[in-house]
Amino acid sequence: MVITGTGAISACGIGAEALWTAARDGRSGVRQTLFPTLKRQVILEAAPISGADYQIALSTTNPRFQDRVSAIAQIAAGEAIDQAGLGVADFGERCAVSIGAGFGGAQTMDENYHRLLAEGGSRKIDPMCVPKIMTNAPASWIAMKWGIKGPSYCISTACSSASQSIGLGAMLVASGTVDRCIAGGAEALLVPGVFASWEAMHVMTNDKCRPFSRNRTGMVLGDGAAMFVLESLESALARGSKILAEFAGYGTTNDAGDLLRPDRDGAARSMRMALDHGRLEPTQIGYVNAHGTGTIANDLNETLALRDVFGDRFAEMLISSTKPIHGHALGAGGALELLITLKALEEQIAPPTINFIDVDPKLGFEPVPNVARPFDADVVLSNSFAFGGVNASLALKRYEA
Amino acid sequence: MSDADGDLVEIESQLLDIVAQEGMIDRGRLNKDAVLLDLDIQSADYVMILMAIEEKWGVYLPVDEDLTEAKTVGDLVELVKGKIVEHKAKKATA
Repeated sequence: MVITGTGAISACGIGAEALWTAARDGRSGVRQTLFPTLKRQVILEAAPISGADYQIALSTTNPRFQDRVSAIAQIAAGEAIDQAGLGVADFGERCAVSIGAGFGGAQTMDENYHRLLAEGGSRKIDPMCVPKIMTNAPASWIAMKWGIKGPSYCISTACSSASQSIGLGAMLVASGTVDRCIAGGAEALLVPGVFASWEAMHVMTNDKCRPFSRNRTGMVLGDGAAMFVLESLESALARGSKILAEFAGYGTTNDAGDLLRPDRDGAARSMRMALDHGRLEPTQIGYVNAHGTGTIANDLNETLALRDVFGDRFAEMLISSTKPIHGHALGAGGALELLITLKALEEQIAPPTINFIDVDPKLGFEPVPNVARPFDADVVLSNSFAFGGVNASLALKRYEA
Repeated sequence: MSDADGDLVEIESQLLDIVAQEGMIDRGRLNKDAVLLDLDIQSADYVMILMAIEEKWGVYLPVDEDLTEAKTVGDLVELVKGKIVEHKAKKATA
């Protein structure tokens, strides 16, 4: 199974290349993000898609019937499909779509609640509310636009939505159910109601997001979408498509423990499962794009789990978190990060963890601090760990013809 | 007892009320040496406690290193009390 196309939109701009170069060069899309309708806003930064980029996404889609989350999903899918060179005959029943989303049509929900409650119902509710808000809208719009008539799925497992969607897509291809799958995640949650809800969780930083660093105080939210064309090797070769990477392994587990606190064993089992699935040895892994949210709990837990899984290899392989660049895009997070992981494999460069101050003695390692670093390896890994105890790990391997 | 000390005692008492209410624990069990884990205070309870603190004193406390290191009710109260006093001082000079 291979990847033949990628696409993205994020705070770093439109396009997979914009996301990758920002991550590699340490250019952050995080900036001051104020919501005038909030009476009180404590956290002042996020990684939003720019207004201009939203305009571009909306101008080529169907905003009367879509929340902007579906618009950005389509922009990213279009880029991936173009790169893979898929034509009309490549869709139909032998193609699937599997798109994760966390909050669905957040902007539509937020605006319409505001009309109902704050404005006393004086303005009428958008009659397209339900189809705009439903979490599976991005998957369905992609299916409609390209005529994808096979299975369509929307996995909504918070921060693991996209990684699980990609994993499921890969399984559909591997099982022979379909020849290819458009898979990824989309999230457009930077609206007053969702932002205030995240503030109330007290896991966002009012400093800078500094994954794995001493003095880290939390995460930063972001919007974005990233999509992949997953395909059987046979189909990719038959079409003569350029193969970007081999999809090598998928693992997913549940902690079955605490709703919010991550679990070392659950995270380790997820990574081991991805390695076992791809018959990979820990020694083959050169780079891990960590979940690395910048919260105390995740970064400690993930470090312990990585040490459990990789043992002696831990000290040699490169590990970083790119969340301070593109923000934590929840339902799209795993897709943005897998894309960066793929480009890292292609260029053999590990993107840095920016905003890093110093080693946290409790973690005892440097996560490629502040500046990218080259590596030499054929396999890379990306992790996502979600509230609800949902863990997912994806492994990619350099393709050799 | 100075006014400042009186304030601190008051804050401490109100904090214990919040921990009892949000953690759904009998207020009588909340002595300084009580271990938070033994009281079955879990991740979700922390979020509720932090929100109640924010509503009462207007101080936003992220779940940082210090907070995760609090083992006992006493640790938690001391830490939060410090942050509230710090926040009040900042507000006074702002």
